[in-house]
Amino acid sequence: MELYINMVLLTLLAAVTVAIIRQRNLFGVVVLAGAYSFLMASVMLVLDAVDVAMTEASVGAGVSTVFFLATLHLTRSMELKPAPRFLVPAGFSILLVVILIYGTFDLPAFGLATAPVHVHVAPHYISQSIPETTVPNVVTSVLGSYRGFDTLGETTVVFTAALGVLLLLRRRRRSSDQSSEKDATE
Amino acid sequence: MRLDLILRITTKLILPFIIVFALYVHFHADFGPGGGFQAGVIIAGMFILYAIIFGNFAARQVVPQPVAEAMVPLGVIIFATAGLPALMFNENYLNYNVLASHPEHGQHLGLIWIEAGVIITVAGSMLSIFYALVERGR
Amino acid sequence: MEQFLAAASWVCICVGSFFVVTGAIGLLRLPDVYARIHAVSLIEGAGAGFILLGLGLQAGFTLIAVKLLFIFLVILFTVPVATHAVAQAALVAGIEPQLDEDRRTPAKSDDV
Repeated sequence: MELYINMVLLTLLAAVTVAIIRQRNLFGVVVLAGAYSFLMASVMLVLDAVDVAMTEASVGAGVSTVFFLATLHLTRSMELKPAPRFLVPAGFSILLVVILIYGTFDLPAFGLATAPVHVHVAPHYISQSIPETTVPNVVTSVLGSYRGFDTLGETTVVFTAALGVLLLLRRRRRSSDQSSEKDATE
Repeated sequence: MRLDLILRITTKLILPFIIVFALYVHFHADFGPGGGFQAGVIIAGMFILYAIIFGNFAARQVVPQPVAEAMVPLGVIIFATAGLPALMFNENYLNYNVLASHPEHGQHLGLIWIEAGVIITVAGSMLSIFYALVERGR
Repeated sequence: MEQFLAAASWVCICVGSFFVVTGAIGLLRLPDVYARIHAVSLIEGAGAGFILLGLGLQAGFTLIAVKLLFIFLVILFTVPVATHAVAQAALVAGIEPQLDEDRRTPAKSDDV
């Protein structure tokens, strides 16, 4: 049953992706990106990754849609015509897809219990999380208790990213209204 | 800005429930899905909804832009201080067992502490990016 | 009793799915924005309501039922507002509803 739900969701994901590529109106692209995030959250939910699904739903479908719309307010809402020569980019994309698919042949099968990622520290986390930390949600205990340094680093990454975006977006008042006008129409 | 009565009333009705849900996601992270990142995004989403419906000026009165921008480093500092008590007791950095008399209580306390730092950083960064985008648009 | 509950929940889920499918067909086939919004309200109101009722019957008197009730309340409050906002945005953008006959008196429509 799960397999069929996944197949339907992934097919819809592919359809939404094609629609995003073909859509020229960027407002429609934003709405479709929200639909894409919702479908991705559903896929995560079917795979029992509830935390990831929640993040995808709140960030992907929620906040980033608002950011996209705010960005559209700064730019035009119609995509420019694509470059007439598309053979080189198309060939490069197809080559990349072939390389990536070739790379998946060496990966362990989906959900294989003896995959390297599942035999290193994961069994310890799963079996010892409740005796050691008494935190029922293993995701939280792995993020906070076992890998606190990682999460501290992630928070610093969020801090750094916000710093960079703010430095790019904010400008001193009355510095150059004309250049901001020019940026907005570019 | 257009004044739409239905949107404004419904937003007023829904805002407290959004923030309660965000706090539920935060404090319930030990037992269910969620955590600081999701809760921070939900809180930022609440303020962004407020800013969209009631206008930029009203939102800046609730959370001024300097406050939102100060929240970004403040969260990292709160997270980093969660490890200091362990250093005082000659334990590893970010070991929460020493935070309470029972190691288990210490773990729960430490998780809530660091998630609070994550919430503040994430909510502050989302909100200040939104403010900066709106400011560019004017 | 248990079998009756299971049967009732499945009936509710099937009715809800029927409404969702009807609303989806309406969303594709109806002619203009305002009629399509009507189809969306059918999905969200009747479809989601019946499906949540069916799920709640399966859950029984547990925490899950309370959560489903909250989801239903959220849908009940937000979706009509969202469709209202879409309809009003369409009206402000100047999209005329498709009408068989315009029953407004001519003088009034001139005023607007």
